[in-house]
Amino acid sequence: MWRQYELPKSEGTRIHRVGKTVLFVAVETAGEGDVLAAMISYPDTSIPAQRRKGKETMTVPPLDSPGWARYFMGSSANYDIVPGYPEMPVCISLREPFYLPPAADLRGWIFSHVEARIVVGGSTVASYPLTRPYKTLYGIPEAGIVCRHDEADFLASDEPVIDALHEDPGLVAHPVRLRNTSSDPVLVNELCVYGEQLSILGNDTRMQSERLLFIFSASGVRMSLEGQTDLPAGWTQIARPRVSGEERFIVRSIELFRAMTRM
Amino acid sequence: MDATATPAGTLSVAQDAPRTGTLLDMHSVFGRIFNMDTATKAIQIALMVVVGLLLIGIIGTLIKKLSGRRMDSRTGGFLVKTIQYAGFALILVNAFKIANIDLSALLGAAGIAGIALGFAAQTSVSNFISGIFLMYEKTFAEGDVVTVDDISGVVYSIDALSVKLRMFDNRFVRIPNETLIKTNVINVTRFPLRRLNIKLTVTYDTDIERAKAILLETAAANQGVLRKPDPFFQVQSFGENGIELFLGVWFANPDWEQANNGMYIDIKKNFDAAGIAFAYPTMTIYSRKQGS
Repeated sequence: MWRQYELPKSEGTRIHRVGKTVLFVAVETAGEGDVLAAMISYPDTSIPAQRRKGKETMTVPPLDSPGWARYFMGSSANYDIVPGYPEMPVCISLREPFYLPPAADLRGWIFSHVEARIVVGGSTVASYPLTRPYKTLYGIPEAGIVCRHDEADFLASDEPVIDALHEDPGLVAHPVRLRNTSSDPVLVNELCVYGEQLSILGNDTRMQSERLLFIFSASGVRMSLEGQTDLPAGWTQIARPRVSGEERFIVRSIELFRAMTRM
Repeated sequence: MDATATPAGTLSVAQDAPRTGTLLDMHSVFGRIFNMDTATKAIQIALMVVVGLLLIGIIGTLIKKLSGRRMDSRTGGFLVKTIQYAGFALILVNAFKIANIDLSALLGAAGIAGIALGFAAQTSVSNFISGIFLMYEKTFAEGDVVTVDDISGVVYSIDALSVKLRMFDNRFVRIPNETLIKTNVINVTRFPLRRLNIKLTVTYDTDIERAKAILLETAAANQGVLRKPDPFFQVQSFGENGIELFLGVWFANPDWEQANNGMYIDIKKNFDAAGIAFAYPTMTIYSRKQGS
């Protein structure tokens, strides 16, 4: 899935399937260059799975459909599809929230969905969420952050548990460490991940980020990177962080100062 | 300087020339004004003005750059303007001092002129002072969407005397700062999200539980509706015409327009599909026959 493709010049619309989501890619010739057309299609969740009878059929949308987005390719003959974190932070809502007692230090795993980026000649021309992109608020209405919504189970295990639920190739695993430095138990019901600071490491079938440290204190929650996890043989860095942790820290400090002072 | 150096005589120096010398005949009007002393002072003033303006320019640019990163444009602009005006005043006072002009008389005259000007410019002064209060209150910044009285628009620029808005139909409005101090200003985009309040009246034969489920499902299916804070449902009252329901859903500010329309369209579609009817003003009339 995450590799380079030649333009589908003589095969009509190409179908890239990531889990239950489908990314259509087609090419049109325009003047001296080609125009790449792309469209994402999400599974219809309005009909419950048990009511969907028979084999699911998929209709390739016609090229005059308004859902297509077009990008001028110039003389490039191929495009890459690479995974990437969403531009906005991702707020992962835990399906089974739990209380973390004071002084607790817990290690585990959570999962979030990446986006499929179409890259032409080193530049990203489009980025498509692999699940229908809903938003949520992390924090309070006066000063919270609008994030991409995602849902996951918290797996309290040192090793990633890859079961049928987490076989979706659009999922990236985050090893996490949760520490409660406050004197009261804290409810862990959502974890906010700033993807711009993270890499994507992986092999052909699985992806994972660096270990994330969430410190729950009396003043709130802080996410930071706990450092590189040991990678099994054959794993590579598929995507680099967009900003360094230091840069993000400075930017966030200024944002916080501005939000507080309106200056 | 050689007193006999000028052959034409017009520039000859008189015998009683002052110690700095003169270029013109001391007895002529020009001679009395354009002497060496005056020329030196003029050069000093010119130099002071040039250096002063340069300094003001450099300081203004530096402050503009620094404030651009750390303050909103209104505060930054005000700071730059204040420094510029203070600098100009300093240059002016220095120029008078070099020219040996007594400022007390001038200030006396300025006082009288100031009173006259004060009366004439009281609106401007009021707007200016209101601008300072607005700046400290930080009610809005450039790019915010505000509603002032019946006018809604995006804040286009914030100036010393007024605030300019670009209305959504692309009209340009200038609102004096004084008005903004006196009236209610609603900043629609102050916070990152906003709630859409949908009030509905459905007929009395509606199953309220069913209506609630449809409304919450509609909100859940809308891509613009935030998952948190949760949508808020309330049965408001048994009204004159039907059951009054309320649904509050939250959107991120940039999604407002699209998600707002989507919600109304989907509610109508889903209510129609479920056979739920919106209530219109109705009146039930009972008639009784005489003798019955």
